Amino acid sequence: MRKGLVWLGAFVLATALAQAEVRVGVTLSATGPAASLGIPEKNTLLLIEAGKLDRMPKGVTVRFFILDDGTDPTAAVKNTKKLIQENRVHLIIGGTTSPNSLAMIDAVAEAGVPFISLAAAKAIVAPVDEKRYWVFKTPQTDELMSQAVVQDMVARGYKTVAYLGFNTAYGEGWAREFEKAAKAAGLEVVASERYSPKDTSVTGQVLKILSRRPDAVLIGAAGTPAVLPQRTLVEKGYKGQIYQTHGVANPAFLKVGGEFVENTLLPAGPILVAAQLPDAFPSKRVALTYIAAYEAAHGVGSYSTFGGHAYDAWLIARDAIERALQKADPGDLAAFRKALRDAIEGTRGVVGTHGVFNLSPTDHLGLKFEEAAVIVRVKDGKWELERSFR
Amino acid sequence: MTAVLLLLLLVLPWIVPPFYQTLFVFYAIATLVVLGLHLLTGLAGLTSFGQAAFMGVAGYTSALLALRLGVSPWLGLLAGLLATLVFALVLGLLTVRLKGHYLPLATIAWQVALYIVMGSWVALTGGRTGLSDLPPVAVFGFELRDPRAYHYLAWGLLLLYALGLYRLIHSRHGRMIRALKGDAVAAASFGARPPSLRLWTFVLAALGAGLAGWLYAHFVRFVNPSPFSLEASIFYLIMAVVGGVGSFAGAFLGAGLLTGLEQWLKDLVPLVLGKSGNYEVIAYGLILVAILHLAPRGLWPWIEARLPRRVPDPPEGEGLPARAEPVEEEILLEVEGICKSFGGLLAVNRLSFSVRRGEILGLIGPNGAGKSTTFHLIAGVLRPDRGRVRFRGQEITGRFPFETVRMGLVRTFQHPHLFPEMTVLENAMLGTYPRTRAPMLASMLGLDRTEERRAAVEAFRALERVGLAEKAFLKAGALSLGEQRKLEVARALAADPVLLLLDEPAAGLRAGEKRALAALIRRLRDEGITVLLVDHDMELVMRLVDRVVVMHYGEKIAEGPPEAVQRDPAVREAYLGGVT
Amino acid sequence: MDPLIFGFLLSDGLINGALYALVALALVLVFAVTRAILIPLGEWVLFAPLTQAMLLEGKLPGTVWLSAGLLLIWAGLDRRRGRTPLWLFLAALGVVGVGFLGRSVPALAFLAALLVVLPIGPASFRIFFEPLPGASVLVYLILAVGLHFVFQGLGLAFFGPEQFRLPALWPGEAALAGLPVPRQGILLILAAAVLMVLLYLFFRRSLYGKALRAAAVNRIGARLAGISVREAGRVAFLLATGIGALAGLLVAPLSNASYEMGFLLGLKGFVAAIVAGLVSYPLAVAGGVLVGVLESFSSFFASAYKEAIVFALLLPVLAWRSVSSRVLEEEE
Repeated sequence: MRKGLVWLGAFVLATALAQAEVRVGVTLSATGPAASLGIPEKNTLLLIEAGKLDRMPKGVTVRFFILDDGTDPTAAVKNTKKLIQENRVHLIIGGTTSPNSLAMIDAVAEAGVPFISLAAAKAIVAPVDEKRYWVFKTPQTDELMSQAVVQDMVARGYKTVAYLGFNTAYGEGWAREFEKAAKAAGLEVVASERYSPKDTSVTGQVLKILSRRPDAVLIGAAGTPAVLPQRTLVEKGYKGQIYQTHGVANPAFLKVGGEFVENTLLPAGPILVAAQLPDAFPSKRVALTYIAAYEAAHGVGSYSTFGGHAYDAWLIARDAIERALQKADPGDLAAFRKALRDAIEGTRGVVGTHGVFNLSPTDHLGLKFEEAAVIVRVKDGKWELERSFR
Repeated sequence: MTAVLLLLLLVLPWIVPPFYQTLFVFYAIATLVVLGLHLLTGLAGLTSFGQAAFMGVAGYTSALLALRLGVSPWLGLLAGLLATLVFALVLGLLTVRLKGHYLPLATIAWQVALYIVMGSWVALTGGRTGLSDLPPVAVFGFELRDPRAYHYLAWGLLLLYALGLYRLIHSRHGRMIRALKGDAVAAASFGARPPSLRLWTFVLAALGAGLAGWLYAHFVRFVNPSPFSLEASIFYLIMAVVGGVGSFAGAFLGAGLLTGLEQWLKDLVPLVLGKSGNYEVIAYGLILVAILHLAPRGLWPWIEARLPRRVPDPPEGEGLPARAEPVEEEILLEVEGICKSFGGLLAVNRLSFSVRRGEILGLIGPNGAGKSTTFHLIAGVLRPDRGRVRFRGQEITGRFPFETVRMGLVRTFQHPHLFPEMTVLENAMLGTYPRTRAPMLASMLGLDRTEERRAAVEAFRALERVGLAEKAFLKAGALSLGEQRKLEVARALAADPVLLLLDEPAAGLRAGEKRALAALIRRLRDEGITVLLVDHDMELVMRLVDRVVVMHYGEKIAEGPPEAVQRDPAVREAYLGGVT
Repeated sequence: MDPLIFGFLLSDGLINGALYALVALALVLVFAVTRAILIPLGEWVLFAPLTQAMLLEGKLPGTVWLSAGLLLIWAGLDRRRGRTPLWLFLAALGVVGVGFLGRSVPALAFLAALLVVLPIGPASFRIFFEPLPGASVLVYLILAVGLHFVFQGLGLAFFGPEQFRLPALWPGEAALAGLPVPRQGILLILAAAVLMVLLYLFFRRSLYGKALRAAAVNRIGARLAGISVREAGRVAFLLATGIGALAGLLVAPLSNASYEMGFLLGLKGFVAAIVAGLVSYPLAVAGGVLVGVLESFSSFFASAYKEAIVFALLLPVLAWRSVSSRVLEEEE
């Protein structure tokens, strides 16, 4: 009994001494189908943890707990609960894919832990209800990106378009938002096809699209599996404009795509062409800093826009932690989680790699369309800024 | 022991850290599926790659009803189980009759098809993005949001299902399901209808998975297709095999171990191998391989073999009621001009004979004489091309063994068709199946206790009659060949036979064993059982039988008392010719 | 339907079908001899082109060390077997040598990749399957699933999550009845046809092939024919790995390759193999073509439901095969 008391005393003392520690839980899809998104996110957070990317918030140490969910929502929920209940984290970052993030909402809302998602779907943060009170995100919504694509298509005078996308949440989100935006803008969607990232042939889908003769085709896919449909389209003689999504914005896509993806158009966060942006573009400097640090660790050309989302989440978090520390003590778990949530919601003018974040009680993303999306062209195996909406 | 475990389960949410409360809920969910697999794959021998699809059917049904129509999760549970039942019946009808590897592949096929539909029918299911904001389950207005509260719901339902399943497994149905896996012919010979028994096994396993799917949906309060994928189904199969797919406790062990392992690896692997790699899945695979190498039949059987065994007391009390109407017919079995040919080869040609009440009739002949075919024609395994078989005045030509066994026509097998994993007593109790009648549901609810006890007593008496009582609680696999033959006879006796068909009971026995067997058969005759004995051991048959029928090239060449037949030149010719 | 589209779909289905057929041949081969359903074969199929791609980039892929490492473990297990460990040690050295050679001579990368991947199969049999002789089909299956996890995890570690593009062995398109067909696809179809015939002849005509088949059914009979069950298993795994790796190397230029394609590929090959009752090589090829063509046409008509259609259409085929074949009840 007495021994127990001694231990208890030691525990209380240790907790008191360690009060200047903020714990950040991370669950990402570093394996499984979304690995090409999750791995750069993980690398970015590891760089931050190692202090190679950004400073730590003043007055506290930050501890990261990074878990892999294998692109499985159930695993993401388990990870979330583990982080909240076992590691007693103050903040959760992650949820690489939309289903993973959506599945995590209940768990974080239940426990009252702020959560910054790295996934695209608008439904993750909108509408801000009782549960989404706790949920924020940094990536542009698929709705916002669809707007960029559709505006570009309209500007080029296209009338008929076709969609060929992943049979995953990513492809499905794009199908929904793109077809909605296209119809609203008067474009006719003549075909909407799906394929699996693991397919070895998409000839059937491509033939169907060709038979409808669209002016442009949008491929809703992420990473290198986006090459196969484009390659098949080109090989089967398609002459119209091919669009990709920001999901392909990584160097491997260019390498594997080669001549097949030349002249592709895609919407992307401005970070993808940071060096080509006018100096007045607000996120240019931050993006260049991030790219330099990431390339120093992982090689030239290795950066992707997804790592940028993770970095943006961290920038918002660091800023908010510093403000929350004035309101509450990290030792008081519930109070600090709440204070941190309030601080994140109060984020104003935090400049990230994808734009400037101005959050509010009704907007838990806080990006402006004009600053957060550009149209990029693949030219000579490089990303080239095609159009900015500013 | 059980009480301690139950008490532990009751207080568990209050003594473990919160994350383990969550894990325990997932543990319960997994165990529900794995228990179903124990029944389906471990006992009935039907490997299923489709259990997660049934989880999805129930989970989505309840989720859609709650979100679209605002229906309470409890009604959702009923609807979910009903939907699972319908799906399981339809898919089961398509699946359980398939043979060999076609069956597991069929489960893969509809698993994949259902998964794609869940993901692609976006308008209904929300597609791969899934459905969020499901309502929590409420009990008397109290919402079970906390894993601690949900613990009681999940484990409560699991224990109910487990109890029902446990009772079923140890009932007449469970014994028959196990028998079916080893040997459908033997099971049918003792009154089981293999297709319907398989179908209901399939449905029961699916319902466990459905329950799990409902629990999952309202615990996570989000559904999308991925937890109901082929990969998920394979995970449950892994849990079942690691724990020991043939053992009940193994389901709990396998599900718990692998639910925990996944989490522990997440903590351990990055510590050992650094944070930047993603090696958990490799470690997971290697541990799985190592476990299989340590215990190929699963961990629970491996542990069980190292635990002391308790021998239960022999059953006592009243046996099953004997046949109601006395046997009055003088001629029990009449075979009339039966013919059977295989691909042009005439195996049995216009054979006629009859068996009289109270006698031992021997059917003999050299190898290839058509004895076995005749036996199969009488026992209902084969259908004669022509001719008739009558038993106790009723025509039974081509009727299935599970019907004729109820009339008192009971057989044994030449190569003992016993079930080595079951105890000697359980093997003998298979014989009581046609004499008992508790339906599946009654067995699951434990309403068959009296009948079960009586059946055990009956089977134990049969073992006493053949002299195997002291081995009643050993596994049948531990018996010698002679003892296995005795057990075959005991199982037949437990079915209360009017006419006992013995298929080469002496084959492969040593001289001493043969003498004991002959004495046993004679004693049975004295107790009033009529015996038809098929054998080619001239010496044994001649010493034992009252009358004999001799076959050669598919035809009857002699009939009469042994001494007369032995002097018959045609018989001598057939046997001597056969030797050289 | 437009005859041109029909022709395109048919040729696409045949090319994919040839790929599934090759995987199915390998699976049938392994199952016939060892009663194991070789799920990690899908990973090995992809290891070959991924290895080639890395070699072409001038990097030494992890598969070289994996292959050599497995051979060394094998040598360790067989250390008391006379000269065997020495040969295995030399083979491991050879694998590393071939890796370095393939890295520096791009023309040899194709062959080097095949040789590097080849020992992974038999070594896996020796290390993981041999210590469990006579286990049930289900236990072998779960063992194979465990290995699938291990090799898929290794695939991600070695090659990363992205796809690789490979140069065609025979570039360009040929016109068949007015229809342009990729020459590489024709190669794939030819490979499937030739291997089917060779396997059929090997197992039906040659003494060694008959002995291999016998090893699965009857251990003593096989020993009389001069082959041990262990040796039969290794040979089956070796042949299967070779067929799989060749299939992977041939298909990768048509469709790119990534580490995670293996499972789905293996699954479809497995489907084709089962349609063949896991025993017949010509039927395995027919099954592969059936799956490929079904898939091609359903991806044209309803791409979102493609797999659902393929698998749902399989159910009646299975029922028909089950009724018409004389498969005995599974003993386990």
